[in-house]
Amino acid sequence: MNDLLERPTPSDEPETDRVRRFDRASRSRIATLARHEYRAAVRSRVLLALIAILGLATVASVYIASVDYASQLADYNAYKDAAIAGGVQQVAPSPLALLALLRGAMEYLEIIGAVIAITLGYLSITRERGNRTLPLIRSRPVTAGELATGNALGAVGLIATLVTITAAVAVLCLGFIGHDWPNGTQILKLLLAYGAAVVYMTVFYFLGAVATARAKTPANGLMIALGVWLIVVLVLPQIGDTLDADNQVPGGLFASLGLVRADETTILAHFAGYETARTAIEAASFSKHFERFAFAMTDVKAKYVDFSLSQLLDVKRIELEWLAFYAVALTEGFRRAIRRQPTIPQETTS
Amino acid sequence: MIATVARQQLVSLRRQRIFVALVGILLFMTAMAGVIGWMSRETIVRVYDEAVRLLASNGQAAPPNPFELKPTLSMLSNMSIYIPLIGALLAIVLGHLSLADDESTGIGRMIFSRQIARTSYVAGKILSSAIVLALAMAASMAVSLVALLLVNRGLPTGGEFVQLGGFYALSWLYLMLFALIGMAAVLVTRRRSLALLAAMGFWLILTFAVPQFTSGLRPTTSLNPITDPVSTSQPFFTATAKARPFSISEQYKEASGAILGTAPSESGTETTKRVLPLAVSVAGMAAATTALVKRHDYSKGTSDE
Repeated sequence: MNDLLERPTPSDEPETDRVRRFDRASRSRIATLARHEYRAAVRSRVLLALIAILGLATVASVYIASVDYASQLADYNAYKDAAIAGGVQQVAPSPLALLALLRGAMEYLEIIGAVIAITLGYLSITRERGNRTLPLIRSRPVTAGELATGNALGAVGLIATLVTITAAVAVLCLGFIGHDWPNGTQILKLLLAYGAAVVYMTVFYFLGAVATARAKTPANGLMIALGVWLIVVLVLPQIGDTLDADNQVPGGLFASLGLVRADETTILAHFAGYETARTAIEAASFSKHFERFAFAMTDVKAKYVDFSLSQLLDVKRIELEWLAFYAVALTEGFRRAIRRQPTIPQETTS
Repeated sequence: MIATVARQQLVSLRRQRIFVALVGILLFMTAMAGVIGWMSRETIVRVYDEAVRLLASNGQAAPPNPFELKPTLSMLSNMSIYIPLIGALLAIVLGHLSLADDESTGIGRMIFSRQIARTSYVAGKILSSAIVLALAMAASMAVSLVALLLVNRGLPTGGEFVQLGGFYALSWLYLMLFALIGMAAVLVTRRRSLALLAAMGFWLILTFAVPQFTSGLRPTTSLNPITDPVSTSQPFFTATAKARPFSISEQYKEASGAILGTAPSESGTETTKRVLPLAVSVAGMAAATTALVKRHDYSKGTSDE
């Protein structure tokens, strides 16, 4: 924290040099604050417990999917060998989608990852309040903007570490249990999906921090953030899913009526208004945008399997735009919340 | 004394804006469950009519309307999802507030400076939670009845009324478990936030992780009242499926389906077997909470954070 103790001293140096030196000092202070945030966060036992739940759930979900995949892959390879031995020139490619095995892992990031991020945001604010370090930090030449940026970068670093570990565990499960390793394009798609996960969780980090910073009693702020999480992550997508006509009957309504995809499209054309309203409910959920992007990148949706990466990015650009919109809005909210934090110790009330 | 503690707690909860807001959200979602049920039913009927026309134009015979076999109460099937989501969060907050306020404000320390048995204190707290949840479930049932009345243009039959009552009684029992988890978490942690997050962690495990282990249900699959059967023939499940009767959220969903008639019918004994682990868990958590209150050091208090 020594960087925070260095006060800039007036000098006769030229204006441009002074600005450059100030920028360098500012970056140094931000880096120090980010490191402080990162280190302090990993000391929380609750956070570690939540991360353990996420890790365990991820391993279980990928393990279950991979075991099933390995047997299907073995069947396909046996068929392929027999066909080649029988003189068949062209064998149909495997219909199995390796990355789709990560669906459960992505869903856990969507649900538990968001709770972890809210917890991080909450802890970030309460730590400074509880330890009364905020007045000390703000008594030094640290601006509210630098503090907000430092905290945010520390949190992003921690979230990125967490997501990287989750991704590594998932890929290792695919390779060792599923007996299939992702190729270059698949790795790139995974990077994009997990990159979106970092942005997604960062938005929830800001939500937790803003709700806590604005609440008189921090625990109430946490409750509000968790209430928002419940509606955004679980309730809105659930409503959208339930209103989907095809989800009303086990196995799918259209399949039970003996209709193919083209018939389904023809019939749904008569329900354009209903479908628009249903899609709007889903689109109101921030998590649904992450889910749509991540599922497209991990081949969960069969209709995207044959798309090239550039086609996928083109089709899913809207989801990225929504993610960026929420990220920018919540970043601004976080910056304002930090700026409004009282620099004089306050007594909290219930 | 039990009644006094319970009464004081009820007054205190009425003043908590967050708690009142959560009850409001639960009631709103109950009404929404009716609206969603009605909308999806109307749409399916129209989709079916369109499908019949399309199949007839292709010279094909239409299969029977899959919705005609559905019971009247299936309109409320979303409630078996909202109770474990919104209701459980409400119950955790209820249990949390019941004990955390006494801890952080020092009221607990003051109360036990008097000659009050700790068993009476904790019984009063549990009683207040039971009353609040019973009232919330009664209000939710009233909203459901209004929804059924509006959609069906007639009162539910006596049998349907009993089914609905049975479903909300089961939901009350389910929520009591989470209220007790919320209370116990306050007693084993030193900060309010830790207590809330620990209880949330338990909820995440019971609602999302355990069904994946025992039945291969992905997290988002648990959010839909209608789920496609999942293959559990892998050796992994031969071991974990033994724990399925103890997967509380799964058993609650199955029992709800059986009571409301939205799942394949099963005998009363089967449904009772599903409810039994839940009842035992509630009794166990109540005993654990009582034991924790008895040995809790109220002189230390809990941090407000």
